[in-house]
Amino acid sequence: MIGTTPKPFAEILAALEDFQKIAVIGCDGCAKVCLTGGSEQVAEFAGRLREAGKQVVLEATPERTCYLSKSHTKLDPYADQLKAAEAVIVMGCGGAVQITRQVTEELGLTLPVKTALDSVGHMDTLVPGELAMEQCQECGECILNETGGICPVTKCAKGLLNGPCGGAENGKCEVDPQRDCAWILIYNRMQQLGELDKLKRFMAPKDYSKMAKPRTLNIKEKKAA
Amino acid sequence: MKLSELFQRNEFVITSEVGPVKGCIRPDGGPRPACLDEAILLKDSVHAINVTDNQSAVMRLGSLAASVALKQAGLEPIYQLTCRDRNRIALQSSLLNACSFGIDNVLCLTGDHTSLGDHQSAKAVFDIDSVQLLKIARGMNEGFDMMGNELSRATALCLGAVVNPNFEPLDLQLMKMEKKIAAGAEFFQTQAVYDPKRFETFVRKTEGFGVPIQYGIVVVKSPRMGKYMNEHVSGITVPDWLIDEMAGVAKENIRQKATEITTRLVAEIAPMVQGVHFMPLGWHDVVVRVIAELQENGRRAARASVAS
Repeated sequence: MIGTTPKPFAEILAALEDFQKIAVIGCDGCAKVCLTGGSEQVAEFAGRLREAGKQVVLEATPERTCYLSKSHTKLDPYADQLKAAEAVIVMGCGGAVQITRQVTEELGLTLPVKTALDSVGHMDTLVPGELAMEQCQECGECILNETGGICPVTKCAKGLLNGPCGGAENGKCEVDPQRDCAWILIYNRMQQLGELDKLKRFMAPKDYSKMAKPRTLNIKEKKAA
Repeated sequence: MKLSELFQRNEFVITSEVGPVKGCIRPDGGPRPACLDEAILLKDSVHAINVTDNQSAVMRLGSLAASVALKQAGLEPIYQLTCRDRNRIALQSSLLNACSFGIDNVLCLTGDHTSLGDHQSAKAVFDIDSVQLLKIARGMNEGFDMMGNELSRATALCLGAVVNPNFEPLDLQLMKMEKKIAAGAEFFQTQAVYDPKRFETFVRKTEGFGVPIQYGIVVVKSPRMGKYMNEHVSGITVPDWLIDEMAGVAKENIRQKATEITTRLVAEIAPMVQGVHFMPLGWHDVVVRVIAELQENGRRAARASVAS
């Protein structure tokens, strides 16, 4: 999922300063899991906007706001309410905000579309409702086959490919003493798997052209570019 | 002078370290920067001097400019190059720059993370790692960049690397050390170690590696600094005996005590290694005294052996 955190309410009000009639769009996908933009949070947020003197003309939460078709399915029936809005605020990831913008454009509307959240990474839920962690950078050339299923590109603060720096202490990272050194995790895992010899192999520099922004995915041909 | 030539001659290679100033140096005079003052103090005591590269991720004068200043003052710099602030294009260009300015030695490191420095919001680069950097640098010595493009003139740099004997599990650190050797490292400087037994374990395990190793030591300047290093500097452990011994002397004798402890540790560990690398953190006079005492000890031992 895409991890999200709420922006400070004052920052959101500043973004909506010039607008009175607001449409609030949530996301019942990732933002629901993060407790930042599901239907419940949308209702609560709409209440706060009203308390701040705004008029909320629409509350709607697509099943997955980043899926264009799902957003259309949810929002097209509310085209009139969207037309009445002076601005849209989206409680979803950066992708959800931009898909919502596309939906409004495709409905023939020119509306400011703002975000209520900050996107903080591709997250995996470690403890439901409590903790998620970034484990994959979508780097375009996965090396998990060589590293015991633990990604050093993401989980090592320096993204080192050929082993640890010298900074770990008591198994923890020099950047954050609460966090395990990814290379010690990899070493222990490879030892358990009886594959330590594989770690001795030189890992060539990554091909960062595979992360050149913005990447596109040809879904039919299963090819990224 | 390449350090590799000194090691080949079986010299016990002594190096120290300076941190460039936070400010610029100008060829048109002005006050001499502290890093140059410190280096000049060491001139007759050491073979070469490391010049750190924005050490601890604190923005300063670049290691190349400071290395060139040392070279111009007749000192032998070891240009430190980290992967934190430069992508592969800038790193290779930096190696060409260094060689073009007459630098003979480069120490290739990963670099401290930006989050430990004075620009914590900076984007950390780490495009490549220290093993890859060594391999790329060796390729440039052979006349090619990392993409296989021919250089109009190859570099001629002696390549150094670092290793931390304090690391647990040590075998994982040694796995990386072996990768560095295979990639092109010609000598190693260690992280500071204060436990001779631990160092001996490390030396035993690396005996077959066939590369010269310099024992690294940070001069502990006060009991407070020892405690600070334990709490805030990852990868170094300052033992209680050292902190207690420092705490047991009056303030005016602290430099003498630092000299004594450093001399003792180096004297104990020197027979296991091919050189020593001091990290004085400004106390360069202490390093000068430690080296003088070690040389005096050596002369005494030689006289005793002749007499017997």
